[in-house]
Amino acid sequence: MNEYKTTRRTFLKATGLATVAMGFPTIIPSSARGDATTPPPSERIVMGGIGIGNMGGGDLGAFVNNPAVQYVAVCDVRKNVCNGAKSNVDQHYGNTDCKAYGDFRDLLAHKDLDAVHIATPDHWHAIMIVEACRAGKDVFCQKPETRTLREGALVVAAARRYGRVVSGGSQRVLEDYRGIVRPCWGGELGPIKTINVEVGPLSQPCNLPAENCPADMDWDMWLGPAPWAPYNPQRCDGNFSTSGGSWRSYSDYSGGGMTDWGAHHFGGATFAVDVRELQPTEVNYVVEGDKKYLSYKYPNGIELTHNKPGRGNMQVEGTPGEKREPKPVPQYKAKGGICADFLHCVKTRERPFRDIELAVNTMAVCHLGIIAYALGRSLKWDAAKQQFIGDAEANRFLDRARREPWQL
Amino acid sequence: MLDQAFEALKTYDWGMDPKVLQPIDDAIVATHNDAAGRKDLEARLIAALNSAASRAAKDAVCRALKTVGTAAAVPALAALLPNEQLSHMARYALERIPDPEAGAALCAQLPKVSGKLKIGIIASLGVRGADAAATPAGGVFGFFRGADRSGTVPQLSTLLTDPDAAVARAAACALGDIGTPAASQALAAAKPAPGTQVAIADALLACAEQLLAAGQKRDARAVYERLLKNNPSRLVRSAVERGLKNCG
Repeated sequence: MNEYKTTRRTFLKATGLATVAMGFPTIIPSSARGDATTPPPSERIVMGGIGIGNMGGGDLGAFVNNPAVQYVAVCDVRKNVCNGAKSNVDQHYGNTDCKAYGDFRDLLAHKDLDAVHIATPDHWHAIMIVEACRAGKDVFCQKPETRTLREGALVVAAARRYGRVVSGGSQRVLEDYRGIVRPCWGGELGPIKTINVEVGPLSQPCNLPAENCPADMDWDMWLGPAPWAPYNPQRCDGNFSTSGGSWRSYSDYSGGGMTDWGAHHFGGATFAVDVRELQPTEVNYVVEGDKKYLSYKYPNGIELTHNKPGRGNMQVEGTPGEKREPKPVPQYKAKGGICADFLHCVKTRERPFRDIELAVNTMAVCHLGIIAYALGRSLKWDAAKQQFIGDAEANRFLDRARREPWQL
Repeated sequence: MLDQAFEALKTYDWGMDPKVLQPIDDAIVATHNDAAGRKDLEARLIAALNSAASRAAKDAVCRALKTVGTAAAVPALAALLPNEQLSHMARYALERIPDPEAGAALCAQLPKVSGKLKIGIIASLGVRGADAAATPAGGVFGFFRGADRSGTVPQLSTLLTDPDAAVARAAACALGDIGTPAASQALAAAKPAPGTQVAIADALLACAEQLLAAGQKRDARAVYERLLKNNPSRLVRSAVERGLKNCG
């Protein structure tokens, strides 16, 4: 937990007193009092959420319904969404205590918060993770956790600097590929040579026409560090399409399927073949006939391919006739999925299953691939320096300037 | 095709199919090892930037110059830095152009703008690193980390006491990005104005980490010990204690 425990208790006490002072009849539900299965509020992890439509709404539900959590604040640039979420949280606790914010900095200034979950569009993630760490909050951030390579180094540095528990948000890494992970870690396939991932498409430029912005939407805040563009509902729609009509389709906000599903598939693949603690040393851009694919090389010799012709998703190649010593497969540290794993680690200060550094290593695969496709050439990567080797032009793609006044 | 794309730029605006500009991106890839072709492409982009093309068109041009821009493109881009609509996209290119002229242009514009535009330029200088306006050197955080030869650090240092707290915080963050001994000395010497303490402490921690990563343990320890003297928050104190352990 963070360093504000005393203050938090004071806050909760003050909140209760304020309710009495306002003269409302107070019915305190068991979720607020604590019972045999629910710790009292002063023992709970105090949480808030930033970006609470779609994925954020799901995360909010997972945390609010976890008895270890006291959920006290929501933030969204769409006032109606924000107020709706506040209403749901208040209904859950039987009070009106949940705070609603339009600016995440106001939510982070809430000294009583232990942790936040973030589910904004991807172009906001790194700034919010870093600001949350600076404010002493633990963070659960939806995937894809970063939008550029430079952001990866900075979010890890912030988490480590302030000793924060920061979890990435791909539950599929552990939960979806058990049939691949088990034989790899169990040694049945022998030394692993290659694994292939099928995912796409890449995000595209967006030049949608201007439309009237809804009155409840803070458009400048939605754009944040991204280049200015006129409001269009398809530009900012949170649906899961990566081929148009959603922010996931457009390169100012997302890497498209390459990052959106890549966070899951590349994350699962690198977990299966146990290179999740590494970043590739090279990404080769291969043209075979009219097909283009990528071949990543890891320092231990393992090859990860992207959309290699003739290979299926998560198709792994071991060494026939050889076996290896089995290794225990890492698991969540608590029952209840990735959110429960995060909450457990907030209490124990362990690193969660999807620790931000591991998530950033996966995102590096995605971003390196996007750059190789954009430049149409193979690249060598120095993971220690976070720079391309011998390719000044590729190094221009490490990051992109943020729209003022945003800084990272 | 490329001619058609540049023709389309003249009337390009929001709502038009961005695929009409795809030949420009294709030309960027095709001219990678073609110096003459690249020079010609850059010249056409500069001409578009100097034209009366729309904001949407210049936005697209700046994105292309991010990859192919050189010192030749700097004057046209620098001219946009005081433009509230296009300052960001000018930095979008300038921040990533390795030529020292790009950093020099950012430094030159810094005293001439205020508010958000000033913060934007400060942020770009931080990302470019200590050698923003000098010879590129490379590094993990700053794009062009190296010796302080350009005057970027002194220029940012004066902004640590700017009456606009947002500007002062941005300067602190940029100096933390730069992370050199000179940057940390400037941060340590600053008298934090209200609203800047957190940013200055964070920047000093960032400097200490970069000094540690560079093997300069004594300098890193000095930064951490300096932080402890300023009655830091518990959060910063625990960060310092972790850092001191890493100093050995």
